[in-house]
Amino acid sequence: MESNALPSALSSLGLFRLQPETRPRDIAFPLGLGEAGVHEVCETSYGDMPALTGFALAARTYRPGTVFWITQHHQRLDHGALLQGGMPALSAAPPKLVSAVTSKGLDALWTVEEAIRSNAVAAVIAEIEDMDFTASRRLALASARHGVPLILLMPYTREGATAASARWRVRAHPSAPNPYDARAPGWPRWQAVLERSRQAPHMAGQSFDLELNDETLSLSVVSGLAADPSAAGKASFANRFAPPANPEPETRQTRRYG
Amino acid sequence: MDRLPPPFVLIEEGANGLRIAAASRSARKAGISPGLAFTDAKARAPHLLYEEIDRDADRQALRALAVWMIRFAPLVGLDGEDGLMLETTGCAHLYGGEAAMLEEISAILAREGIAHRTGLASTPVAAAALAQARSGQVLPEGEESTGLADLPITALRLTEEAETLLRRFGLTRIGQLYGIDRKALARRFQSRDAADAVMIRLDQALGLRHDPLKPLRPEPAKTARLNCPDPLASSEAITLGLEQLTETLCTDLQAFGQGARGFTLHAFRADGTSDSVEITAARPVRTPQHILNLFSERIDQIDPGFGIDLLLLEAHRAGAMDTSAVALSGDLAASDTDIVALAALCDRITAKLGEGVIRVHQRVESHRPERAEQDRAFTGTLPEEDTPAPQAGPRPIRIFAAPERVQVLAEVPDGPPLRFIWRRIARTVIRADGPERISPEWWTYTAAPPAAPSQAGTARKWLTPKLDPRADADLIIETRQFWEGMDTGDRVKNLPRARDYYRVEDAEGRRYWLFREGLYEDGRGGPPEWFVHGLFA
Repeated sequence: MESNALPSALSSLGLFRLQPETRPRDIAFPLGLGEAGVHEVCETSYGDMPALTGFALAARTYRPGTVFWITQHHQRLDHGALLQGGMPALSAAPPKLVSAVTSKGLDALWTVEEAIRSNAVAAVIAEIEDMDFTASRRLALASARHGVPLILLMPYTREGATAASARWRVRAHPSAPNPYDARAPGWPRWQAVLERSRQAPHMAGQSFDLELNDETLSLSVVSGLAADPSAAGKASFANRFAPPANPEPETRQTRRYG
Repeated sequence: MDRLPPPFVLIEEGANGLRIAAASRSARKAGISPGLAFTDAKARAPHLLYEEIDRDADRQALRALAVWMIRFAPLVGLDGEDGLMLETTGCAHLYGGEAAMLEEISAILAREGIAHRTGLASTPVAAAALAQARSGQVLPEGEESTGLADLPITALRLTEEAETLLRRFGLTRIGQLYGIDRKALARRFQSRDAADAVMIRLDQALGLRHDPLKPLRPEPAKTARLNCPDPLASSEAITLGLEQLTETLCTDLQAFGQGARGFTLHAFRADGTSDSVEITAARPVRTPQHILNLFSERIDQIDPGFGIDLLLLEAHRAGAMDTSAVALSGDLAASDTDIVALAALCDRITAKLGEGVIRVHQRVESHRPERAEQDRAFTGTLPEEDTPAPQAGPRPIRIFAAPERVQVLAEVPDGPPLRFIWRRIARTVIRADGPERISPEWWTYTAAPPAAPSQAGTARKWLTPKLDPRADADLIIETRQFWEGMDTGDRVKNLPRARDYYRVEDAEGRRYWLFREGLYEDGRGGPPEWFVHGLFA
C-alpha cells in the first residue's frame, strides 16, 4: 500500500511520474485469458481437469490459426484424451488443434517454449504438472516477446510464486437447471477464482460464477448463482421412477429461471 | 620352414554332436575342414584349439563393417555370411581409378587387422569369384568370360552337391561350362532346378542375367561428403563440417528443384567405427538453417572418439517442394496457418523428442466413440475440416482410450445408477440424461458359426461333400453330433454388446459419460456392466 502511495504523492507534486496515470482499461472477466500473457488455470481439487479444459476453450475465441496443445502420456491416462467431438458444445469456433504428447514434464516445458517461439501457432495450451519460478518467468518472457498467449492447465497441487499474469482456480459447479428436462444436466457452470493477477491486483480473490449458454455458446458471469439447484434436482431425480408426489420444486424452478 | 600357428577351429552344436564350423589355415593343413565332427578333428590334431562360434556377433560385426564401408560407396550389401558387396559405379574416380580404390580398401582393412580378399568386376558374382580365387584383381568391363575362364568352379559358390557333381564330370574350371549343352547338363542333375541354379549363377557372373544388389540401407537421393585430412575431434568441428555439407547438399537439391524429408549424417572414425544420426522432416525441406537446427539436438550423440576422418550427409525421400509464394497479408491467405512454419516447429520437436510426438486428430468413420477419432502423426498437413460431424448425442471433452469399469452401488432397471464408485470414490448421481444407444459394429468382427438347426441334414455344409455317406456313416454321424453339440443353444460369450450412454452429473457438479455395456437378457454374456468413458466439461 505504501509503495503505491509514494509515487502517486510524488507525481501529484509534479516531480516525476513513475507510471502513466490511466485507469486500467477494460479490466473485465477473462483478463486477457488466451489473448496475451501466461495464464495458469489450476484445479481446485483432483478431478476438475475437464472443467479446466472447458473453461480454457469456452472463455475465449482464439485468434484464427492453429492452437498447439501439449500434454503428457500419464496425464492422458489420468484425465482422458481430448475429444474434438466435444468441442462444438463449448466453443462456437473450435480451434484447429495440433497436439504434442511428451513423456516427461521437462520435455513438455521445452515444447511449450519452442511452440511460442516458432510464430507458427495462434495460442498454446499446455497441461503442465509443476514448474519453478524460473521456468514460469522464462515462459512469460517468451510469450510477451512473441505475442503468443499461453494457457497452462495445472493440477490442484500448484501453489507458490509464479511469473504468470494470472492464476485461476477453477472447479466444476452443479449445472444450470435444464428448462426442458428438470432431471437432466443443464448448461455447464464453473466457478473460477482469480487467485492472483498482475494486470488487476485489486481483483485478486474475486470469484466468478460462470455459465455457458449451450445455444449461443457464450460464457457469461452470473452473479449469485442459485444457492444450490442440486437440492431440487436431487429430489426430482429420486422421484424419477416414482409418481411425482410433490410437483412444487419444479414449479418454483420454472418461475426462477423462466 | 616357417612354423605354423597351432590349429584353431570354431565349433558349433550340430544334429549329431559338435561339428567344425570354421577352421584356420593350419587346421585345414591337418585335414580338418568345416563340417567334420569335432571328435574326428580331435583325433587328427590332438592339440587342437577350439572355441564356440557366435554367429550373431559375427553377423553384427559384418553389418557394422558394411555400414563403415558406406564411406567408399553409397550402396553396400551383405553377400552371404562373410562377404560385403559394394556398388562402386561412379565412386572409383575419387580414389584415382578402380585398382587404386581396391588397394585403398585393402590397406584400410589390413590396418584394422581384418583378414580379407577383394575383387572388382562388372557383375557381383564375378567380383565375388575374383575375391575367392584371385584376391586384389580388377576385371575390366566386358572381359568377364575370358577373365573368369581359368577360375575354379568353387569360386561361383554353388551348393556342395552341385560342386561334387560337376567335379565328377571333370568340370573344374568356369571356362569349361561356357560351351556346355544345358539340356544335357540338366539331365545329369537330380532335378532341373539344381541344374538351373548352376547356369543362373554362371549367367549372372557373365552379366547375361540381371543380379541386383540388395543394399543394407536405402539408396540416398543425394549425398555430400567431406574428407577431413585432419580428423575432427570435437562437436564444434563436426558442426562446422555439417554446415559445409548442408550447404552443398541444399545447393544440389535446389538445382533439381527438390527437397528431402529425411537426412542422415554418417561420421566415420579413423579406427573403423562409425556413428549415424538421422532426422526427419514433416515436409520436404532444403533450407540449410532449418536442417542445421534439427541436427543441433543430435550432434552430441556422435562420439568423436579418436577423430572423425569422413563426414557423409545423405538426403532421403526427396520430393518436389511446394514453393508457392507467401501471401501478402493474412487476409489473402487461403489458410490462417503458416503450414511451413508449423512443419518447421514440428520437425524440431520430433528431432528432439522422437517420432510420433506431434499428432493431429483425424475423424474415422466408426460408431464406436473411442474409435471415431484417432491420432495420427503430423505429416505436414492439417486434417480437412469439410465433412460435418455426424449427428450424435452429446460428446464429452475428455475421453478415456479404455473405458474404466465402475462399481454400481444402487442400480435402477432402465436408467443410470443412483450411486457408483469410480476410482475408489463413491459418487451420487443427481441428474442424468439419456440414453443414447450405440450398437456394436457387427461388420467388424467375424461371426461364430450359426447355431445348428434342429432338422437333420441342414448342417451338412460343415461336412466335406467328398465323404461318401455309405462309406463312413458312423464318422459322419459322429461329426455331425460334434458340431451340433458345439452350438446347441449356448449363448455366445464374445459377441459385442450394445451400449447405452448416459450423461450424468454428481453432487459436486462433475459430469460423466457413463455407459452400460449390454442389455439385460440379451444373451451375450452375463449381466451388463457399467463404465465411465469420458468426462464433460
